[in-house]
Amino acid sequence: MSRVRREPSSNKKIYVLVAAFTLVIILIFGAAKGKYQLPLSEKVTMTMLAPFQGIMNSVSNGIRQGTTAIWEIATVYQQNKMLKSEVAQLREIQLNTTEITAENDRLRHILDYKQSALQFDLVAAKVIARDPSNWTSTIVINRGADDGITKDMAVVTPEGLVGNVISVVKNSARVQLILDRRSSVGGLVQRPESRVAGIIAGDNNNKMMVRMVNIPRDADIVEGDQIVTSGFGGIYPKGISLGEVVNIANDDGGLLKYAVLKPSVDFQRLEEVSVIVKSREAPPTPITQPPVGSTDDKTAVNKNTGGSK
Amino acid sequence: MKPSIVWSAVLIISLILQSTVLAEINYNGIHADLLLTVVVSSSLLLGKEHGVVIGFFAGLLQDLASGTFVGMNILAKMLIGYVFGMAEKKVFKEHFLLPIISVAIATIGNSFITAIIMLLLGYRFDLLNNMIYMMIPLLVYNLILAFPIHKLIYRIHTLLKE
Repeated sequence: MSRVRREPSSNKKIYVLVAAFTLVIILIFGAAKGKYQLPLSEKVTMTMLAPFQGIMNSVSNGIRQGTTAIWEIATVYQQNKMLKSEVAQLREIQLNTTEITAENDRLRHILDYKQSALQFDLVAAKVIARDPSNWTSTIVINRGADDGITKDMAVVTPEGLVGNVISVVKNSARVQLILDRRSSVGGLVQRPESRVAGIIAGDNNNKMMVRMVNIPRDADIVEGDQIVTSGFGGIYPKGISLGEVVNIANDDGGLLKYAVLKPSVDFQRLEEVSVIVKSREAPPTPITQPPVGSTDDKTAVNKNTGGSK
Repeated sequence: MKPSIVWSAVLIISLILQSTVLAEINYNGIHADLLLTVVVSSSLLLGKEHGVVIGFFAGLLQDLASGTFVGMNILAKMLIGYVFGMAEKKVFKEHFLLPIISVAIATIGNSFITAIIMLLLGYRFDLLNNMIYMMIPLLVYNLILAFPIHKLIYRIHTLLKE
């Protein structure tokens, strides 16, 4: 491989070199336009690298856990205080939510509204490697075709959307993150009075942020808005959290604006993810929550909904 | 052992380290380009013909492992291998500043070439801003690696010669 002939005429070498460079340039633009791919070679590399990456990754995880443990012990007092106040806040919100859920169930029943929240079948996976290139954002996970994973499946964490599967081999799969420049996800503003839709794509100027683009200038979107998937396009189920708007700016073109979002998922410390292998509508009988306090009204409603569907 | 096998092993190990341990210690998603420092050091020691070949395979591995924009890193690393290989006979290979200065130049060159390719492929971004945003952390990481990697590559090179 590294045996380049030593002393033929130097002209010949230059021709070979120029030919090689030209070929590579053709390759770049051809491959990028999707005219052809190198699927086999990519899959071979992935299959061969995965076990080593798995081992190396567990080593680096060990090191990181050690360092974070030290940091956490040092900040435990502050953290405890913060958590306590957060728990108080969440309790309040939860009370509210139970009320709203009950009301939602009741109204749903009145309207005979068919579609309800989707349920997902998940496969848990470990992140074993990240992208060796700085221009793209992908990860490799330790689940593949053997675990029922196929291309275009959505990948999530409890915090929100991670990305989608772009290639699968036997025991591992590559996931394109929503941070990637080529990724585009349909999203909408969660606020009920807004519901503005747009496309969420990787931010070309900041690798850890995403952008919601193609929003009309007069659209109702403000900083702090939560953005969720819209379900348009069919790859991503509706209602998965994408991020929070941190900045809104006007597009160069004049008619549109874009919003910079901070993703809900912390991509810096992504260790475990879940792949949605199947999403379907909730089965006829919804899962009844354990009664919170003495809300007789709510349990009655639940029973009602169960019977009607 | 055959030199080609040794160099292939060096590249593969570098790739694995780059996609796991080094990617883990990233700053805003930017992490060190270990393969670049390997290409620079080895082409400085081996000359331009070998520099091009090592650059080609390093880029190929990186492109295949990241699965996208096939050819982008091949082109960038081939050019870097060639340019630094040309300097082979003109530099004092044991000077400690050599790898540091070369890697700094190579990092800037590599970022520039890949940015141009991205622009040509139709990705819109602010070139100057992007270069600064991506390059400063990349430079810091690569410069930290430059000297130890050069020492290591130099060691491998002398062992292979014996």
